[in-house]
Amino acid sequence: MNHNKQQSSDLGHDDDAALSDFLASLMDYTPTIPDELVEHFLAKSGFQSPDLRLTRLVAVATQKFIAEVASDALQQCKARQATVVRDKRDKQQKDKRLVLTMEDLSRALHEHGVNVKHQEYFADSPSIGMDPASRDE
Amino acid sequence: MSDGGREIERGPEKPAPPRKPGGEEFARAFVKVAVAQICESEGFQSFQQSALETLSDVTVRYIRDIGKTAHVYANQAGRTESNVFDIIQGLEDLGLAQGFLGASDIEHCLASSGTVRELAQYVGESQQIPFAYSLPQFPVVKDRKLTPSFLQIGEEPPGEHIPAWLPAFPDPGTYAQSSTPNDRTTELKMAKIEQENQRIKPERSLLNLNQWLASNELEGPSVDAGDATKAKQAAESNPFLAAPLQYGEKEVSPVVLPVKTKLSNDTTTGNPIVKYHGMDNHVSVLEAFTPNIEAMKSGLRDSEEGHKKVLLKTRPTVQFKLGSGKKYLGSMLDSSPQNKSFQVTESWFGRLNEKDDKKRRAEQILKESVGNLQELDHL
Repeated sequence: MNHNKQQSSDLGHDDDAALSDFLASLMDYTPTIPDELVEHFLAKSGFQSPDLRLTRLVAVATQKFIAEVASDALQQCKARQATVVRDKRDKQQKDKRLVLTMEDLSRALHEHGVNVKHQEYFADSPSIGMDPASRDE
Repeated sequence: MSDGGREIERGPEKPAPPRKPGGEEFARAFVKVAVAQICESEGFQSFQQSALETLSDVTVRYIRDIGKTAHVYANQAGRTESNVFDIIQGLEDLGLAQGFLGASDIEHCLASSGTVRELAQYVGESQQIPFAYSLPQFPVVKDRKLTPSFLQIGEEPPGEHIPAWLPAFPDPGTYAQSSTPNDRTTELKMAKIEQENQRIKPERSLLNLNQWLASNELEGPSVDAGDATKAKQAAESNPFLAAPLQYGEKEVSPVVLPVKTKLSNDTTTGNPIVKYHGMDNHVSVLEAFTPNIEAMKSGLRDSEEGHKKVLLKTRPTVQFKLGSGKKYLGSMLDSSPQNKSFQVTESWFGRLNEKDDKKRRAEQILKESVGNLQELDHL
């Protein structure tokens, strides 16, 4: 706590400087989500800002969020693959493509506070109950 | 490889069911592309279709949540435009589920928020992934062509109450009907409406057949000469629109009507006698209605033939002269022919003049009541 108090009293202006620097650096970094798209969805919820940096800030924040979810899902996928592989054809099984599935996604999102429930299976095609990565949707 | 055959890139490209194009479709498609690019940079090689849609939906909700929270904080501070601190607060709110450094600090400057630091870290570390497509500015705002005001046109506004800076009225030709060219169309419309009405009528049940005939006869003379040709044409094509047949034109099987319609029919046909009954006050109600009850009791079996004869004889003379309620008296008496002599007098009445009618009628009623009393004795 002392460190924080010191920061707030003496080096308070440094934080502001850091923030403004960060915002300036945003203009160099192009987020994956384009600005027009972010502006469109922000406008839908009443967000008004003529400052482009703020839009970039939101875009970057969203990108970070998605990246975190995706990395969690990837870890789940790899963990699943590690447990599944038991056959003699080890190498072929491990080289299987990494597919983002609903199961991994729902688990990853659950940690971030988003509850996604999906159907386990629809009994309308012959390929029910197979490995989700390899069945046709 | 058997596995290679089953691999999917982004799900099979089935023809999507035709959906109504909404405003969101365009934006969502781009979000899917962006999300797919991010996932690919993380290491995924393919996705399930539903997983991609779910993640893009979550993305949209995230963006909108940040916007909403930032807007709420700005409003709380009394501003309409959000600034960076509102966004940081919004990010903190959303990041509480996952947690960030310094979340538990009570007093901390927003500028040094853990979320911002993490963001700066992310920006520094991650690679830039440019978006795959170039987006136009959307939604596109259409240029409205405003109606010029009175001043701009140079017109005087009609009426003192209309200020000149208001938009001018449209050209009267666009909304008002001009008289001569449209008369013909209105006439045609009226003819069509009448034809429609005539077409609807035959759909009524047989029970209302007589009423329909009577009303149709009444409406006959109202058809204009101008529509006669139309009516003829329609009649030729549609049998329901043909003019009704007069009595005797076509050989028809006798109609068997239930008691109710028989009564209504007789109100229209027993007219020469109807006029009299306004005077017939001295007949007691019980006597008057006993034939009524008798007729009901005897049912159709006895009175069928009599009804038929009554109908066929008196059908052409349709005179609507509805008197007081006491017409039932006459009609009931007409319709209960317990003896054939009554029927003869019935037809005979049509030829006599009024005063004689009243006399005969009085006698008839007395006879009838006597006859009924005898019947009552039988019962």
